Formats: sequence, C-alpha cells, structure tokens
Amino acid sequence: MKSTGLRRLPNRGLQLIVASALLITVAAALVARAEAAEAAPEALTVDQDVQALKKELVDLNRDLFRLEEELLYPASTQVAVFLAVNVGTFFALDSVQLKLDGKEVANYLYTEREVAALHRGGVQKLYLGNLKAGEHELVAVFTGKGPHERDYRRGTALRFEKAVGAKYVELRITDRDASLQPEFAVRQWE
Amino acid sequence: MNASCRRRCWSLLAGASLALCGGGATAADPPDATATDLPPPVKIRDLDYGDVLFHFFQDDYFEALVRLEVARQLERMPDHASEADLLAAGLYLSLGMHAEATGRFERLLAGSLPQSVNDRAHFYLARIGFQRGYLDRAWRSLESIRGPLPGELEPERRLLAANVLMAQGRFDEAADSLEAWTDAGDWADYARFNLGVALVRSGDPARGRQLLDKVGTLAVRGEEQQALRDRANLALGFALLQEQQPEPAVAALNRVRLDGPFTNRALLGLGWAEAAAARPQRALVPWLELRERSIVDAAVQESLLAVPFAYAKLAANGQAAEQYRYAVSAYAAEATRLDESIAAIRRGGFLDAVLDAAPAAAGSPDRAGWFWQLQHAPDAPHTRYLYPLLASHEFQEGLKNYRDLRIMRRNLERWSGSLEAFDEMIAARQAASAVRGPRKAELLAGTDLDGLERRRDAIAARMDDTAAARDIVALATPAEAAQWRQLEELGAHIDGLPAGEERNALAERVRLLQGTLAWQLDAAYKLRWSRLGASMHDTDDALREARQRLARVEQAGELAPRNTAGFASRVRELEQRMTMLQPRVEAAAGAQERLLASIAVRELEAQKARLGSYATQAQFALASLYDGAASGSVP
Repeated sequence: MKSTGLRRLPNRGLQLIVASALLITVAAALVARAEAAEAAPEALTVDQDVQALKKELVDLNRDLFRLEEELLYPASTQVAVFLAVNVGTFFALDSVQLKLDGKEVANYLYTEREVAALHRGGVQKLYLGNLKAGEHELVAVFTGKGPHERDYRRGTALRFEKAVGAKYVELRITDRDASLQPEFAVRQWE
Repeated sequence: MNASCRRRCWSLLAGASLALCGGGATAADPPDATATDLPPPVKIRDLDYGDVLFHFFQDDYFEALVRLEVARQLERMPDHASEADLLAAGLYLSLGMHAEATGRFERLLAGSLPQSVNDRAHFYLARIGFQRGYLDRAWRSLESIRGPLPGELEPERRLLAANVLMAQGRFDEAADSLEAWTDAGDWADYARFNLGVALVRSGDPARGRQLLDKVGTLAVRGEEQQALRDRANLALGFALLQEQQPEPAVAALNRVRLDGPFTNRALLGLGWAEAAAARPQRALVPWLELRERSIVDAAVQESLLAVPFAYAKLAANGQAAEQYRYAVSAYAAEATRLDESIAAIRRGGFLDAVLDAAPAAAGSPDRAGWFWQLQHAPDAPHTRYLYPLLASHEFQEGLKNYRDLRIMRRNLERWSGSLEAFDEMIAARQAASAVRGPRKAELLAGTDLDGLERRRDAIAARMDDTAAARDIVALATPAEAAQWRQLEELGAHIDGLPAGEERNALAERVRLLQGTLAWQLDAAYKLRWSRLGASMHDTDDALREARQRLARVEQAGELAPRNTAGFASRVRELEQRMTMLQPRVEAAAGAQERLLASIAVRELEAQKARLGSYATQAQFALASLYDGAASGSVP
C-alpha cells in the first residue's frame, strides 16, 4: 500500500505540477485578456482623469508656445530658417553653420535620429530670430560626407529683403543626378 | 525597439493574450494605436507641417502635437489640412488620449475627405475599437475601408481583421483570410501564430498545432522573428504536452533558444516532456539548469519541485529528500523577501523607484508616449518581483500614465520658469517704453514732414515752368549762372556806351560769349533735366519712406502699451491655468500610484500563495518519502 503510494506520489505530483504549470500560464493569459477588454472601474477613472489632464496640458503648451513666439519673435521682425533634405544620397549631413549679416546665429550638429527624420520628409526649423526691415545676407555652411565618403564642406548664400512680416527661408539639400553631387539650394517663402 | 517591431509586438500581443504561454516574458502590453505609420506627404508644401513631421519622425509626439496645434491655430498649413487633422488625431492616440483621438477621427470622417485619409481614419478607429474590446465597432470600421492602405498599413489591416475575427470567435473566417494571404511574410506569420493559439484553445488543436508548427519552423531573419518562433514552439510544446504527446513536445521545445525570453518556460516544459516520456534522467538536465536561475521566475520556482520529483523517479531518494528540503527553505526565504517587497510597496514611492532605476529601458525621460514600456523590472527590493506584472496590460497602462504625469510635472515646472522670465521681459519693455516716450514725442514734434513736402512741391512747380519754357539757364551750374549774369550785366553796360565801332566790337564779343555759353547750357540741358528728375524721384521715395516710418513710430507708440498689457494679461491667464493644473497632476499621480500599488500587492500576494502551495507540495512529498523510507517500501 505504502509502496504503491510512494510510486503513485510522483505520478500524482507530475500531474499536479504539469497542471500547475499550465494553470499559471493559462491563467496569466486569461487575466491578460480580461484586463485588455475591461479594466477595473478605478483604473478607468484614473485613466480618464489622466487623459483629460493630458489634453489640458497640450492646450496649455500650445498657448504657451504661441505666447513665447509672439513675445520673442513678433511677426514684424521674425525670420525663420528651415532645413530640408530631398533624397540626399550624395551627402551625409553632419552639421550646419548659419550666419546672418556676418554674425553666426546657429551651429547645429545632427544626430542620426535627426538626419533620419529629415530623410523621411521632416523639415527642421533651424533658426528663429529677429531682423530689421531691409536687406540682409544669409550664409549657410554644410559639413558632412560627400560622394565616396569624402569630407565635404559647402556653402550657400542668399541676399534677401526683409519687409514688414515674417520671413521664411528654406535651405534644401538635394541630389544633382547629372554630376552625382549634392546640391545646396536656398529659397525664400512668401 | 523600432516602430515596425513595436507595431508587430502590439499586434502579436493583442492576439497572444490568448496564448497558452501566457502574457509572455517580453512583457509588452498592447500599446494603443499609433500614428507612426502615417506616411509623409509626397512633398512638403507648408514648412510648418514639415517642422511637425521633423519632431514626429523622432517619436517626439508631444512636441510634434504642440507644434501641430499651434500651426493649425495660426492657419500655417493650408496645403496639408486633411493630413494635419489625421496626424493630430493619431498623435493624440499615440499619447494615450483615446477619447480625444476617437472624437477627432469621427469628426474627420463626418467631413469630406480624400479617400486615402478616410481609409486611414477608419483603420485607426478599428484599432481603437479592437483595443478597447468594441469588436463589432472595430469590424464595421474595417469594412468601411475601401482601398488598400499605404505601405505597412495594409498588412497590418489584414492582421487586425484576422485578430478581430478571432476575438469574435469566427476562427474559420480568420483561417480563410490567412490562407488567402500569401504576399506578406512577416505579418502573416504573426497572424498564423495568433490563430494557431486560438484554435488550440477553442477545440481544434490539430489545426492549431499545424499553424504553430509552421511558425515554429520558420527560417528566421532577425531577433523579432526569432522571438516569434520561440513563442510558437513554446505554445506548441505545451499544447502537445497537454495532449500527452511528449515526443513531439520535446522536439518543439528543443527549438526554443537557450538565451531568449522564453527559455525558462521552455526548459520547464522540456523536463516535463522528458518525464512524461519516462526519461527522468533526461528530464533532470533542463531542470537542473533551470534551478540555478533566479528564483523570482515562476518556472524556476517550479523546477525546485521538479528536480526532486525526477530524483525520486530515479529512486535516488536521498537526493530527492535533500532537494525537497532545499525547495522548502528556498520557498520560505522567497516568501520572506516577498513580504519585504509588499511592505516596501505599501510604504509608497515604488513607482518612482521603478522608473528611476530603469532609465535605459525607459527611453528619453522627457518624451511622453504610449509606446514607452518597461521591459525589465529593476532588481531592487520593492521592484524585483514586478516582472510578471510587466506582462499585464492594466499595470503597463497605469505605469505609462504615471510616467506621463511625471513628465507633465516637469513640463509645468519648466514653463513656470519661462513665464517668470516673460513677466520680467514685459516689465522691462514697459519701463523702456516709459523712458522712450518723451524722447519720441520730442523727436516727432521736431519733425516737419509737411513743410518738407511743401518745399518739394514748390521745386516741382519750378521744374514744370523750366520744362515748359525750356529754360536752359535754370539748370545752369552756379558758376555758369554767375557767368550768364555777368554777361547780361556787361551787355547792359555796353548798351550805355557811346555808339561807335568800339562799342559794336564789345557788344559783338559779349554776344559771342553769350552764344557760346547758351550752346553749352543747351547741350547739357537734357542730361541735367534727367538727373534732376531722378533726384526728384529719390526725394519722393525718401519722403514716402519717412512718412511710413513716422506712421509706424506713431502706431508703435500707440500699440506698445496695449501689446505689453495684452502679453501681461496672457501671462497671468496662463499662470492661473498652470497653478490649477499642478495640484491636479499631483492628485492624479497619487491616485495612479495607489492603484498600481494595489495591483502590485495583489500580484505579490498571489506569488506568495503560489509559493505556499509549492511549499506544501514539497513538504507532502518529503513526508511521503520519509514515510516510505521508514516502512522500507522505497524501491
């Protein structure tokens, strides 16, 4: 009797343990499913509160962002310089130096993540500042790797007239397929 | 984890909540739908929209959303209106604001949209519906999609459709849709896994195992697929084990990697499969490996019982008894540590400890987002047992909320500093305006633009007369004019001389000189007239510019007090909003922490109960062994 009991014990243990292993995992699965479908009421309330708070924070940040821009860069003097990359297979961007009327106003070193964002179609607001009405000169110097992994440094310049009203300038890096070289263009937006 | 991986994990886990192998050691909870897969427009036509995308493509959703809302409010994206609306809704979703996102998608669909935008909005609504358990609504949204979606969205739509069908219990339809799906490898594999698990659990194990076997024998191309393959083999192994088919279970479980997130459970299952095949010695191999691992893991805890069980099967009762005793003491020690953890969690602050201790896993600490998830519980007293909780949707959602609340708190603190600076700036402007005012008034009083314009008009009138009479002398240089006057005086003087040859000779000479001078003046007249006209033109420009400047100065003088007052009032209003938000953020964070603490304590108590059960089994087995030894009936 005892002998069979002893022999039986491991088998029963096996069944128990196999059952427990499956129970743990299946129960975890069932719990996960139930939670995904319907959270506890208290969790729902907290979640709703947090969602409402987040929305208010987005609105607040929007209004603060506007206030900051209008206060520091009023439309009458505002000048914004953007940078875009179109294809950009002949040039791997490392940094851009920006000068306005001979004075350096931005010197930006790019992370891989930022370069990837530019390649996907993002446009960076590289500089936001103020300028008086009248004629000005913008010089941008790009550094990076050009064709055949060579160090590459190129500049582009623009003389432009700043009138009353915000001025947008776009720097654009494109591929010149004919010469297999990058091209650096600058364009004024109305 | 890249966006594609995250999406697939979401899709996988949404279905894998049905999995035999449980929530999964990857512990990813199903993140809500995202906007990361919104394709960019072909060409950026509004720079501000490009600026939004620049932040969006770096997964900086909060910054992208704020900039998007500013640009929308200022109407700076007229050429991307529909895309911007869709992106805004997607961003709200990515930041966990489902209610706002749903409302925006629905409002978008109520308007007139390009078909591509319309389809994507339906797709995201379907995702939210599925995520929230509104399956019928999700299915209706999926049925409203007319064309194929762009890029990776199309296979994801099909996977979502299969998941919805499975969740509705429509397994045949889900299987049919998968069988018809031959053109998208990775996504179809995820769907096959989900369906395989669902079929095993719903009473069609043979068909389910077939699907799991297909995924479990994939030729893998990367970590993501390797994890899927492991998961399929684990599910398949346990399903076979449950059906008393140890040999194929061994084969399936042997395919799981030795260093992956599913290894512990696979080792446990492999041991049971070997034991079920009456090979206890071979069962010991995985179990002995497993028992050396961290006892926090449930599979390791169970291995402490499994090892002596195998020894007993091998009639090594001394070793079996020793291992049972070891198990009992290990369970007791672990239960004590669990008590310490429960006490630590109840003391509060455990969420901050979780987040602070895991910065590497948390990504950028300032980026809010619904994709963030904690992958590994830090090994601290009050956090080391939370690992199983990471697989819990409820816990992950709460943790993300808490993390977002911390980010909100920092955001408010930063802006609070900025607002103080704005206040000072406005005060400085007001002071400068007060100083400049009198000086400006003095300058304006001394400026007689009207007088200058009257003088200009007089000159213009004289020019008209000169032109009408072709008065060449009027344009003479001062020296020429003096010569002309001298010659006229000389002529008059000569006219008063007595008549005679001498007078005639002198008169003739003056006439010749006058003629020569007149010829010179006439020759220069055209050029001088042209220069005079240009000069008048410049004068007119200068006067106009002066008039405009004066107007601007006068206007600025009038607007400055209004502008500064307007800014000051905006700053005050925003300060009030911030002041009201701050305590609400604190209160919500407190509520969230209490909620998660209760979930954590519940989980830890369940773990403790399980340890108690294991300890009881070990003690019972030990007693039986002693009993058998005492009676001499042990083989």
